[in-house]
Amino acid sequence: MIRLLFRRSVPLVLSLVLSSCTDIVEPNQLAFVLGTSIDPAEGGQIEVGHQIVIPTQKSGPFDGLSESSEGFVVLSATGRDVFEASEKVQKKLSRKLMTSHRILIAISEDFINKNDVSALFDKLNRDPANNERDVTVMIKGSAKQFLTLGHPMEHLSSIAADKEMQVNGLKSFSTRQFIIDSVSEGTRPLLPTLQIQNAKLSSKITTPIAQWSGYAFLNKRLKVKGALNETEGSGVLWMSGKMMSQGLTVPWKDGKGALSFRLTHLRRQIRSGGNPEHVVLTVKAQAYLLENTTSLDMSEVNNKRMAERYVNDQLQKDLQAAMDKVRNWGTDAFGIGEHLHRKHPYWWKKQRDDWDDKFKSLNVTVKADIKLRSSGTSGAQLKP
Amino acid sequence: MKISAYQMFWLVSISSLVELSYLPTHLAAAQSRQDCWISILLGGGFMLAVTWIMLKVCMQNKDKTLVGFIKDLLGTVIGKIVVVVYFLLWFMHMSIILKGLVEFQNLVMLHQTPMIVILLGVMFLVTYAVLKGGITAVSRCAEIIGPIFLFMLFIQLILNPQDMDIKRILPIYADTGWLSIVKGAFHSYNYMIDPSIILMLFFFAENKRNASRTILWGTTIALLWGVLSTLVLLFVTGPNLAMQLVFPIYSLTKFVSILNFIQNIDAFFIPLWLLGAFIKLSVCLFILSYGLSEWTGIKNWKLVAFLTTLIWLGYAVYCISDSRTSDMPNNLFLVSLFYPFLYLAVPLILWIAGSIRQRLKTPIAD
Repeated sequence: MIRLLFRRSVPLVLSLVLSSCTDIVEPNQLAFVLGTSIDPAEGGQIEVGHQIVIPTQKSGPFDGLSESSEGFVVLSATGRDVFEASEKVQKKLSRKLMTSHRILIAISEDFINKNDVSALFDKLNRDPANNERDVTVMIKGSAKQFLTLGHPMEHLSSIAADKEMQVNGLKSFSTRQFIIDSVSEGTRPLLPTLQIQNAKLSSKITTPIAQWSGYAFLNKRLKVKGALNETEGSGVLWMSGKMMSQGLTVPWKDGKGALSFRLTHLRRQIRSGGNPEHVVLTVKAQAYLLENTTSLDMSEVNNKRMAERYVNDQLQKDLQAAMDKVRNWGTDAFGIGEHLHRKHPYWWKKQRDDWDDKFKSLNVTVKADIKLRSSGTSGAQLKP
Repeated sequence: MKISAYQMFWLVSISSLVELSYLPTHLAAAQSRQDCWISILLGGGFMLAVTWIMLKVCMQNKDKTLVGFIKDLLGTVIGKIVVVVYFLLWFMHMSIILKGLVEFQNLVMLHQTPMIVILLGVMFLVTYAVLKGGITAVSRCAEIIGPIFLFMLFIQLILNPQDMDIKRILPIYADTGWLSIVKGAFHSYNYMIDPSIILMLFFFAENKRNASRTILWGTTIALLWGVLSTLVLLFVTGPNLAMQLVFPIYSLTKFVSILNFIQNIDAFFIPLWLLGAFIKLSVCLFILSYGLSEWTGIKNWKLVAFLTTLIWLGYAVYCISDSRTSDMPNNLFLVSLFYPFLYLAVPLILWIAGSIRQRLKTPIAD
């Protein structure tokens, strides 16, 4: 009997120990961090803010507005590195910080210019509690303030920013991609930028929310060298291969009316024949005409072809202008250097050390190759 | 104790996959950056050749284990000394894997659990399986674990399609040159697979001809996975990040995000690695203790296995507490002398000696 009891109890005790009950953390002991902000602090220190959901107060997406409490807290602390600051945040919390499910990292513009951004990479890559799938954005102003903001549609500003990027066809802005771009020889990172602005949402409510203001271009030392607004920037994103779909509106030649397209299957192609000093970047897409306020009858084949050619010409001009702007900053967000590195590896060895300067004088031609796939469900204009 | 050819396939492939997913990618990438897949390919080809030579040796001496036939071929004294070096190799492999396993668990999942608890847990399982059923039990476990393990590892390679950029492995050769590529292969091939285990295992194979075929297949499939996983790693992260990842295969699982919904699947893979490591460790413990019992003349190999476990425990604790041992994979003595001796020199000598003996014997038999 005793023998039997002993035999039964040994596996029981063992199973408790071996299933590592010492390490069990229940979900109600965890504080889920969905957004992290990085701001500069005095003396070269760093201020880290964590946006933490309060799970008990969350139900449907629209409950948040009616309730007075917001359903999340933002706690921040300063430290010499991310870990020290996070530990200080942890001291104020009853639950264990859990960063594995983070959606977004917001870095303020000040931090990028004052501190060394690459110092963040180590923590992101070394600590297994980071997923590196979260997106990285730059905030004009205080990144911590961005986290404290609410959003009319979503629970959290970080979820909102992430969804906005997905809906608007942006891809490849994960932290991992940011790190890969930063450490690669011939690509410079670009960061989507958010700005906090007052928005009038309804007749009664006017509230500050974070809105896309454009894109920031970083150089080799990861300092902001220039910025483009949303419209110009989306062309650059296309040329960098970081966009999946976008809209395009081209005013017609005679100044009367415009053509609007939905562009899908955005692609770009970099070519450099035998001469690495001359590069041709071709953007490709499939276009669907969705609005036509010109006098053209777009059901006619000749008009279609003419419109296609004209749109390509216009687009080419715009993109070339954006390209030249970015090129003058010396920030190769397109990865042209990386292309040349792969295509002309021996030539590249002489260029890589001061690529930012060399890129300025590189001869890059932009070509557009948009195929009009459909002119929509209407033929000619409906005339009264 | 007999192993079927099918079981042999799983024993060899799991043992190889466990090692491949742990050390070589990092070691190769540190030397040859985006060309590390060539290093892995070169090293893998070399290891396949070594496996082939070892199989030749095994086929010449079907009715004996390494300890038995090395005495016949090289004489008792030299044979016994050389075998000790093999014992050291297996012991070292066991310790490296165990140390890696425990440290990884402590780092990633079990922050509070004392190291010794994980260590004892794994060792208890391994020793229990070996003592209770010998290689029969281990190979039956391998039969079950193997298909799941292999399937999941191959599936993992295609879970990152949206992050892959095939161009990241370019330019091939130009940035690194042959010296780095060969250096990468040189540093990593020792930890890809351990072909020397078959010198002991082959004795237990039921059908020698089939077993030798399945051993080659098991090795080839494992090496294929090794090359593919290295390529996938480069596609996803590019060379600059890949060379800094200490557990690249683990990091790959962390990057997986299917439709923004299925994420953090590393929790599924870590237990699988534990199961794979269990097979690897059991095989090593079994051949080590069986070989030792033959070497010392102690008939009861289970007693030897028990004693070996105690020494193993002591050494593992020492390894984990002494950080100097963590650089062992790059130790120049090991890489340039120890492994080439065991993987190339000795099997070649055995093969030549065996062939000569057969030639000499045949006329007498006529």
